[in-house]
Amino acid sequence: MNQYCNKNMVATTIKETQEKLRKGEISYKELLSGFLSRIKERNEETNALLSVMEKQSEKIKNVSSELPLYGAVFAIKDNILIKGESCTAGSKLLEHYRAPFDATVIEKIRRNGGVFIGKANMDEFAMGSSSENSAFGEIRNPYDLEKVPGGSSGGCAVAVKDGMCNAALGSDTGGSIRQPAAFCGVVGFKPTYGTVSRYGVISMASSFDQVGPFANSVEDAQLIFETIRGKDEKDSVTSNFEKKEAPKSIKVGIPEEYFVEGMEKEVEDAIKEAISKIEKNDIEVVNVNLPHTEYALPAYEIIMASEVSANMARYDGIRYGLEFDRPAAKSIEEAYLKNRGGGFGKEARRRIILGTYTLSAGYYDAYYIKAQKVRNLIASDFSDAFKKVDVILAPATPTLPFNIGEKVEDPLSMHLSDIFTVTSNLAGLPALSIPCGERKGLPVGMQVIGDRFNEDILFHVSKKLEKIWKK
Amino acid sequence: MIEKREIEKLAFLSRIRLDNKDAKEIREDLESILGYVQKLKNVNTEDVEPLFHFPELKNVVREDKPCTVNRETQKEMMRMGKDKDDYLKVESIL
Repeated sequence: MNQYCNKNMVATTIKETQEKLRKGEISYKELLSGFLSRIKERNEETNALLSVMEKQSEKIKNVSSELPLYGAVFAIKDNILIKGESCTAGSKLLEHYRAPFDATVIEKIRRNGGVFIGKANMDEFAMGSSSENSAFGEIRNPYDLEKVPGGSSGGCAVAVKDGMCNAALGSDTGGSIRQPAAFCGVVGFKPTYGTVSRYGVISMASSFDQVGPFANSVEDAQLIFETIRGKDEKDSVTSNFEKKEAPKSIKVGIPEEYFVEGMEKEVEDAIKEAISKIEKNDIEVVNVNLPHTEYALPAYEIIMASEVSANMARYDGIRYGLEFDRPAAKSIEEAYLKNRGGGFGKEARRRIILGTYTLSAGYYDAYYIKAQKVRNLIASDFSDAFKKVDVILAPATPTLPFNIGEKVEDPLSMHLSDIFTVTSNLAGLPALSIPCGERKGLPVGMQVIGDRFNEDILFHVSKKLEKIWKK
Repeated sequence: MIEKREIEKLAFLSRIRLDNKDAKEIREDLESILGYVQKLKNVNTEDVEPLFHFPELKNVVREDKPCTVNRETQKEMMRMGKDKDDYLKVESIL
């Protein structure tokens, strides 16, 4: 563990913060100034936050202790709109953009007593697995500053781990919450597709994107989720769902397809050890099969790139984005080419062009439609498995946090970081990443995957697992 | 294999200007990713429907009617571009 971690921290979890506030051990003012001084001390090194809402925080004197998010102080991924604040999505194209309204999730957090302390750095437009694709500089892992924190919501994971706040909201399209949570030793949760509104959240791949919390405990993640979930007329795919009873005895499934070549020995070892610990705790562990797992990442690559190419069309320097060399552009076409060519970073350009290819006449059926059919098979695999088990356990990442610069030149190897997380996005499932051990002084994350809209059961089981792995 | 000409065409369709070095790199990256996704060909998808979205999620529609934007929001939006009176000034599109 890095010498800075957990040092001088005001409080770790929201629950603990609430207790301290209620007992009068700290005041609201001290809580916020504690986080702000931590940010001053650490942000230069990790680059986790792009902007700090210092003045706004100073105005907050107290919050009603009756509210569920009393004491919760959030970092917000910079692709989620907070009225009046900048919102760059990690891109040069939106460097000067200011949000004219609050995202639904922001409104809900405000209403429930949560406050905001800063906007978190991220891979440009949430495209990346290492937080090295931000136009505003890479983010560093607090465990080891030479390592990546994962991505794309790297800033959120680092801010929570490093004590700059006690909660964060990120977004997850193919693992962008769970993978950085695993790399930084915090809890990250991607809800069921359609449970949390994306109104006011900058789109990447719309059939996958979900907003979810980072926290220092499963209980906190659940608390945040309960306040942000629910139907929103402004996001057409959202719906409400009924509460589910927790099962009396728990059955977890282990998919053997997730223990394949390419996984680092240390990670495999830590995951197997964590699984063996739960077997001793009256939790039944059985094998399940998810036969199409190896096709998940290829299907994801195609569908994601296709949706990206459509969603990024709006950044043309006219509707959104910068204008480059305006006087020199002779035609509107030339203006588009310049604005977009100069504005998008390498990874974004790569994905837009790939998506343009997979959606082209002549390739559409072979790539896009084929991938969507495979997606259906992957979703069916999970439906079959959930007939037998309550949750599925799988590693969150195939490797430990890797070195900064190690994979930037090889996009395919970078994309392979998401091999275990994309399945939940393809099938729309809720999934948590929980710290389950350490190897070489770096954290390892376990994914707990639930059936669609079965969050209640997922949290029930995850709290038990967290307790076992913390021992 | 992706031809150089094809990359140029894709870049134009995407409205992204690439210099020669970028075009070469993107061509190599695309070839590597497209090579990897070829394995989808091994999956039998006969009689399988594409899963574009989840069945229980239904689109909502509302009446399309003009609304007024409050002055404060309008001012915020104006800050992002060059304005002329109460309008945003942009490049002519047609």
